Amino acid sequence: MKKILVGLALSLIIVLGIVASGCISGEKTSTPSSETTEQKKTTNVVIYGYGSEMITLDPSTEFSNSIVTLANVYECLVKYTPQGLKPWLATSWESNEDGTEWTFHLRKGVKFHSGNEMTAADVKWSIERTIRMGQGPAFIWDPIEKIEILDDYTIKFKLKYPANLPLIASSAYGAYIMDSKELSKIGDDNAIADYLNQGHDAGTGPYMIEKYDPKTEVVLKKFDEYWGGWKEDQFDVAIIKIVPDSSLREQMVVSGEIHITRDLPLDDLPKLQKDPNVIVKQTPSYQELYGMLNTKKPPLDNKLVRQALSYAVPYDQIVEYVLHGYGSIAKGPIPKGMLGYFEDMKTYEHNIDKAKELLAEAGYPNGGFKLVLTYTQGDQAEKKVAELLKAEWSKLGIELEIRPMNWEQQWALAKSDPQKAQDILIFYWWPTYPTPYDFLFNMFHCEETINFNLCYYCNPEFDKLIDEAVTFEGTDVEKAKELYKKAEEILVEDAAAIFFYNPDDVYVIHKSIVGFESNPGYPQVVFFYDLHKRS
Amino acid sequence: MKLKEYIAYRLMLSILVIFGVVTIVFFISRVIPSDPAALWVGAHPTVEAIEKAREELHLNEPLIKQYYYYLVGLLHGDLGISIRTHNPVAQDLKSAFSATFELILFAEFIAILIGIPLGVYSAVKKDSWLDNLSRVLAISGVSLPTFWFGIVLQLIFFKYLHLLPLAGRVDTITMLEHPLKVITGFYLFDSLVTGNFVVFVDVLKHMILPAITLAMYPIGLITRQVRSMMIEVLQENYIRTAWAYGLPKKRIYFKYALKNAIAPALITIGLSFAYTLIGAFLVELIFNWPGLGRYAAYSILSMDYPAVLGVTIVAATAYVFINLIVDLIQVCLDPRIQL
Repeated sequence: MKKILVGLALSLIIVLGIVASGCISGEKTSTPSSETTEQKKTTNVVIYGYGSEMITLDPSTEFSNSIVTLANVYECLVKYTPQGLKPWLATSWESNEDGTEWTFHLRKGVKFHSGNEMTAADVKWSIERTIRMGQGPAFIWDPIEKIEILDDYTIKFKLKYPANLPLIASSAYGAYIMDSKELSKIGDDNAIADYLNQGHDAGTGPYMIEKYDPKTEVVLKKFDEYWGGWKEDQFDVAIIKIVPDSSLREQMVVSGEIHITRDLPLDDLPKLQKDPNVIVKQTPSYQELYGMLNTKKPPLDNKLVRQALSYAVPYDQIVEYVLHGYGSIAKGPIPKGMLGYFEDMKTYEHNIDKAKELLAEAGYPNGGFKLVLTYTQGDQAEKKVAELLKAEWSKLGIELEIRPMNWEQQWALAKSDPQKAQDILIFYWWPTYPTPYDFLFNMFHCEETINFNLCYYCNPEFDKLIDEAVTFEGTDVEKAKELYKKAEEILVEDAAAIFFYNPDDVYVIHKSIVGFESNPGYPQVVFFYDLHKRS
Repeated sequence: MKLKEYIAYRLMLSILVIFGVVTIVFFISRVIPSDPAALWVGAHPTVEAIEKAREELHLNEPLIKQYYYYLVGLLHGDLGISIRTHNPVAQDLKSAFSATFELILFAEFIAILIGIPLGVYSAVKKDSWLDNLSRVLAISGVSLPTFWFGIVLQLIFFKYLHLLPLAGRVDTITMLEHPLKVITGFYLFDSLVTGNFVVFVDVLKHMILPAITLAMYPIGLITRQVRSMMIEVLQENYIRTAWAYGLPKKRIYFKYALKNAIAPALITIGLSFAYTLIGAFLVELIFNWPGLGRYAAYSILSMDYPAVLGVTIVAATAYVFINLIVDLIQVCLDPRIQL
């Protein structure tokens, strides 16, 4: 018996030994690990904890999360900033009077990661490849008729119609310049796509792809010959670490395992704001939450009912309760900070008496109808908004049925027969590149086949105004603003949608990092080149 | 029936089972209303882009034809392209599989190492306080939700004691400074073979918490099974005879009793192996383990049907083969079992 006991004790010791070996080796490596921290200091690593997997790495077709990588590896001709367009690979640009011909002067001495010099031929090749492949974001180049190389550093675009080409050239999707000499060697467009998706790159950006594992991490290494030069306190290695679970990311950033992250649970942000280890940075995003109203189906085909609903939204309460203050009430269809946003826009305020009056005028003095609202399943913010609406609208005698649905399902329902579709669909919009036209055209321009105009709104006067406004964006901004404002006023008056709020971009940054600025033109991108170690 | 014939017969049956699973899952995943083409093209696609994708992915063809395409692909080892990640599913699965399998193997190793001795001891010392304690442990192991247990372990060992890493498979910076030559995809094995001890220790540290979390269920199962079988066997006449001969305890317990008690436990171990594959779904999410479970969870959430099918095929194959292996081992251990 004793021997059995000894045997058992031994096996338990072995098991505990395994556990402890981890613990002990943890202690043991504490000396080497201090060495690794030494090494960390010398190798200079910054880690961005990101919630979604990478998709593809082909700059011509990528229309999703991977711009988080691409924007550090490639560069566009122009860089968008909320303060205006800034030179990037182009140093200056000009157009003819009506904005149908644009000439860009390229930066000299820019090297691709292969060592080739970037010239006008690369720009022409990159944009033409994107147009030729016709996938994802290729539509942004729709205005282009012809691209002419004037010399190695000058390139001219002839357009089919006036457009703000510098803004298009700053797009976070589909506007990156690639190394044509290097990529042409690979083969045809699809062969190049395969080559790139394996983790190769052909950009001019400050970082090169060192290791690419779309599901776990992307390791970027600094490109020594970057045209912008390097300072000592910048990072040699930048890692995008995929951590889908938000509470895990939260623990990791607090402990310093990752240095920067976003999309943490909003409920936890106030607590993090008090944490000395991290800095919570909130900046406006170019996102807006809409309640698309079914303007083709009674009772919402009646403008008065739609206006009544717009008045019966507790906007303040929503920003407070849903966003915990990390965002602001929307003023019309365009997010704060963008062209086409007007601080003095007359919008709906929470006024339940006014809503009752309008309902009575529309012939529904005590409400008495039922509406169906759909939102994307799993989105906590949308869910809370829907619940608040239900409570508020019950005061008007309106019964709201809330249906959480998978996005593809709810979208398919909305694209089916409007008479059978939901009355209200809640969803977010953000632009492919920051122009108000992207919002107004996609969601509110007449559509023959319904795609994103999910309120089925069709107003020729509105269409004419925005179609005209967009042609002035590049040449006469004031004129464009004036036209956009008129159009937006019509839209608000018609109450085609409820404009809820603009959520802020909230990044949580470990105290050891400085220099981070979020750029709403490049959603979710951390430009690692801007980051520095805190001295 | 001879062993070879038996194996061939079982393999044939396995193929039928897997084929059935593929058929059912294919049609179920396609009946659910969703639009894979819209998912394929990205956030704000144009109508044309969606139509183009629909054509490329053969989504506008009859379902039965799509099923045919899928089967033909499958026979060529092509599991299709993931709608969400745009990668070939086979490639996604390959890297995920080795991560998960390594974790499961390690978890089972812990479970067997703890479960069997604990079961034997419990039976020998029936109704002692240690037996009661082990029974409480066993029941907790089976009934405590893994996600709760995993988070508690994280709190204790990462947050308060700072002993073990929070999540992940290996530390990125360690990997950068001591690059691991991947041979089998099992990091523990690879690092040991290549003599990369820094990575070995790091991988081991990362594996302990998820493996223990995952092992809790099989530990409970094995302990209970071994205990009840041992109690039964210890009352057999031949054991009494062995006592009467005055044979040493160790020999009686481990040579005579355990050998007869272990056969049913083996089945349990085999089945718990398959079960840990399911358990891995939750554990991998909690510990950000880049394996099959995490891959499956996100594929299901985004209705990425080729990926869901791929995971199903791997899981079904694993189940079928583990069952086969368990049956074969049983034959080897107990010659009385006829094929």
